[in-house]
Amino acid sequence: MAVYRRNYRPYSGTQTPEWSRFLVLFRYSRRNLFQSKVQTGFFVLCFLWPIVCLVMIYLAHRASFLAKLGVPSELISIDNMFFFRFMSVQGVLAFLMTAFAGPGLISPDLANGALPLYFCRPLSRAEYVLGKSSVLGILLSQITWIPGVILFAIQVSFAGPKWAWNNLWIAGSLVVASLIWIAILSLLAMALSAWVKWRIVAGALLLAVMFFGAGFAQAIDAVMRTDSGHFLDLGYLMWAVWIGLFKVDAENSISAFPASIALLVYCSICLLLLMRKVRAYEVVR
Amino acid sequence: MSDRIIFEDVSKFYGEILGVNRVNLSIPPGITSLVGPNGSGKTTLMNLMTGLVKPSRGRIEVLGHPTNDPENLFKFVGYSTQFDAFPKGLTGFQFIYAYLCLSGMPLQDAERTAWQAIERVNMVDAASRKVAAYSKGMRQRIRLAQALAHNPKVLVLDEPLNGLDPLARSEMIALFRASAAEGCYVIISSHILHEVDVISDQVILLSNGYVVAEGQIQSVRSEIQEHPTQILIRCDRPRELAAKLFESEYTIEASIHNDGRGLLLKTRDADRFYLAMNQLALNGVQIESIAPADDDVLSVYEYLIGNEEVVR
Amino acid sequence: MTRLWWTQIKAVIRLELRKTFFAKRGLWIYVVAALPVLLFIAYAVAMSHEQNRTATIAHDSERHLAYQDLLAIKSGMTKQEVTAILGKPPVVFHWTERRPTGPDSTQEVLHEDYHYSDGQNDLYLGFVDGKVQSINIHEAYNLGDDAVMFAGVFQFFFLRLAIFFGCLGIFMNLFRGEVLDRSLHFYFLAPIRREVLMAGKFLAGLLATCTIFITSELLQTVAFLWHFNPQTRDLYLYHNHGLEHAVVYVGVTFLACVGYGAFFLVAGMLFRNPIIPAAAVLIWEGINPFLPALLKQFSVIYYLKSLCPVEIPVSPGTPGLFALLISNADPVSPPLAILGILVVALLALFVSSVQVRRMEINYTTE
Repeated sequence: MAVYRRNYRPYSGTQTPEWSRFLVLFRYSRRNLFQSKVQTGFFVLCFLWPIVCLVMIYLAHRASFLAKLGVPSELISIDNMFFFRFMSVQGVLAFLMTAFAGPGLISPDLANGALPLYFCRPLSRAEYVLGKSSVLGILLSQITWIPGVILFAIQVSFAGPKWAWNNLWIAGSLVVASLIWIAILSLLAMALSAWVKWRIVAGALLLAVMFFGAGFAQAIDAVMRTDSGHFLDLGYLMWAVWIGLFKVDAENSISAFPASIALLVYCSICLLLLMRKVRAYEVVR
Repeated sequence: MSDRIIFEDVSKFYGEILGVNRVNLSIPPGITSLVGPNGSGKTTLMNLMTGLVKPSRGRIEVLGHPTNDPENLFKFVGYSTQFDAFPKGLTGFQFIYAYLCLSGMPLQDAERTAWQAIERVNMVDAASRKVAAYSKGMRQRIRLAQALAHNPKVLVLDEPLNGLDPLARSEMIALFRASAAEGCYVIISSHILHEVDVISDQVILLSNGYVVAEGQIQSVRSEIQEHPTQILIRCDRPRELAAKLFESEYTIEASIHNDGRGLLLKTRDADRFYLAMNQLALNGVQIESIAPADDDVLSVYEYLIGNEEVVR
Repeated sequence: MTRLWWTQIKAVIRLELRKTFFAKRGLWIYVVAALPVLLFIAYAVAMSHEQNRTATIAHDSERHLAYQDLLAIKSGMTKQEVTAILGKPPVVFHWTERRPTGPDSTQEVLHEDYHYSDGQNDLYLGFVDGKVQSINIHEAYNLGDDAVMFAGVFQFFFLRLAIFFGCLGIFMNLFRGEVLDRSLHFYFLAPIRREVLMAGKFLAGLLATCTIFITSELLQTVAFLWHFNPQTRDLYLYHNHGLEHAVVYVGVTFLACVGYGAFFLVAGMLFRNPIIPAAAVLIWEGINPFLPALLKQFSVIYYLKSLCPVEIPVSPGTPGLFALLISNADPVSPPLAILGILVVALLALFVSSVQVRRMEINYTTE
């Protein structure tokens, strides 16, 4: 009898539920995130603007204090525009945070041949992508809609239920706007991370997609005398969607609906790239 | 110009982590094996010897050349590293050819030399395929070919037999022996101790960044006083022989071999013991063979390095 | 010795060019260089189509029109007054608008759009209930405006983004990429001086980027001039410094590759993640117009902008920040600009040569 048959017994204890397996990836990926001091420092910096907004909300309800400073109370107005500005700044910070954290999600697994190790276990490609994207999802939520909703709640506590009832849609807009931006950034970062084996190059590609895309969009508009170039500018498209969600009166050449469709197309492309690259094997010719 | 590879009080620290410490070596021509557990400093020593890393302290010279002069050093040094990575997009032939051209060789000479090196490692059929599509053994062979291509005087090989099938291993060992016979310096690191035993002229044992022992294995063994020499005697009457051997002062321990036709002895003075054995043989005991049982790299490794691990 | 070094440099260049030009992972650099060419080709096609359309409309007009005729139309004129001046319109669109007048009632409003052309300029008139309500004149695109547009695309897109990212991709790969690939030790184990190796890699990168981006620049120029008639083209090229401008653009492209290339080569050696300095440089170059005069000089784009042959005028009404970005407030003379770039590049290469000698192979820490 072969030796192994004497001693080997398969594991027969309790198993974790199947739906929660992807959280293993989340736990381990998140652990690596805050090993970098620069990244940790930047994460802390992302809370600066929410704190400034918090102070502004406080001051908006302290007319007497403002009067002492000689500042008219109408200068600080807590409305949809206020939360739109909050989202704009945090959106930029979310992009920069993705540029730090996103490239290291899939590239190292590709470079070190870890994908076959993952997929020879009962883990599907979708679960793998979900586990990796949940890292970014939770990280970016912490700097976008979570502080935004907290600010909204604080404003409600000052302004009262009537204000809350009339402006509840702003909270919804905050959450939806953040989730759309998080989804786009996560999918983009992971697709680029899956497409190149080097973390550094994935980071460069992410920067290039944003900056180069915006620059090329401007070039198209200038050369072709059109506004359609903006469909290549992810940041502009997201901004157009936010203008629609927050019902802000701002000049933009693309309305929210076509911008949303364009963003959906980009998400689909990212998903296709992920499906193509996240596999248990690699063919070299 | 010196005819040795010299390490003079060399230390290498990677930050707070010790690579090697206070290494003093003088490596002669022939096959020298670096032996030690993982993390003992073998690769560090090889990287220091070839200038890939710089010593934190000390001096290194390879046949009179400093290691910070790659332009001259690598005219006669070839190094096959442990890194299983290659420049992207190159075939086996292009890999060797390109790096021969880097040495300043004319293109035609480089092409001819590359094919010679490929033939030496039996990779002619696969030479026009991309290295990324090679098996592990093929990658190892092409790496060896690249190190050997320019017929170096000093060959530094980090685990050169890793991934090779038995036939390829014996071919490579024959190659190393042929090079050593021509007066080359072949420095090999390996975990396959019985092969180290067979091919090496001298060994350097490393542990935790320190050189624990160096020299020919028999002379190293003879200096390990705290472990009595073990001798295996094959004879027809091991019990009778054991009783007689215990009468002499040189025998410390004797045990009968499992098959009942051998005796494993421990003695503190092997030379006098052998003299005593002559007397015993003349007294009618049929002795088939007498050979040292722990006069090899594995035993020396266990005594010098294995004990340290037990103590830990 | 120099002969040996030159042979070795050529060997390094050959090896690197194979990895850059013919590798699948270098494809994106071709795409980056090709995008502005495709843009100008699309522009040329669109302009040709536009010109043909305008010429057809002018041909179909009842009478031959001059620009002054188009300018004579005023708001509020009736259809009869317009046709009296310009003749029957060659292109007419009708559409009806249902305008709500009350809770349950609507009113039908007739809209008509007339399109006239004098062969170069187009006039669009919108009539509501028989009277001119909107007047839109599209003036012909002239080479002067297009040259400014080309200059804008070159300065703000091609230099700052296309060449920047292209050089980032190619030069960063030269050492940092080799470290990530764990193949740098093969170079260090060859009998070649490390400075010679560095020079060879830099020249290989420069050759690759210059070939790609200068070709792109020349093709952009050809595409940009394509839709003009031969007489206009010849006038621009041989009498209005057009050829000179093209040569200068090629020279600026070359200097951009030198400047950015040297920077990214040294960044790849000094930083484990060169994206951070790259992002910093991108932002630094972007805010360069807003920096004090002394700090401005520490920038590649500062010198390159001064060398560009066509200045981009700031149109009235441009916001102050954009005006500052567009204009070149502190131009540097061409010899100083070239010297500045070369000094920046030489400094970077000197640091690279010091660093390459110090480099150790320790892949496990990467």
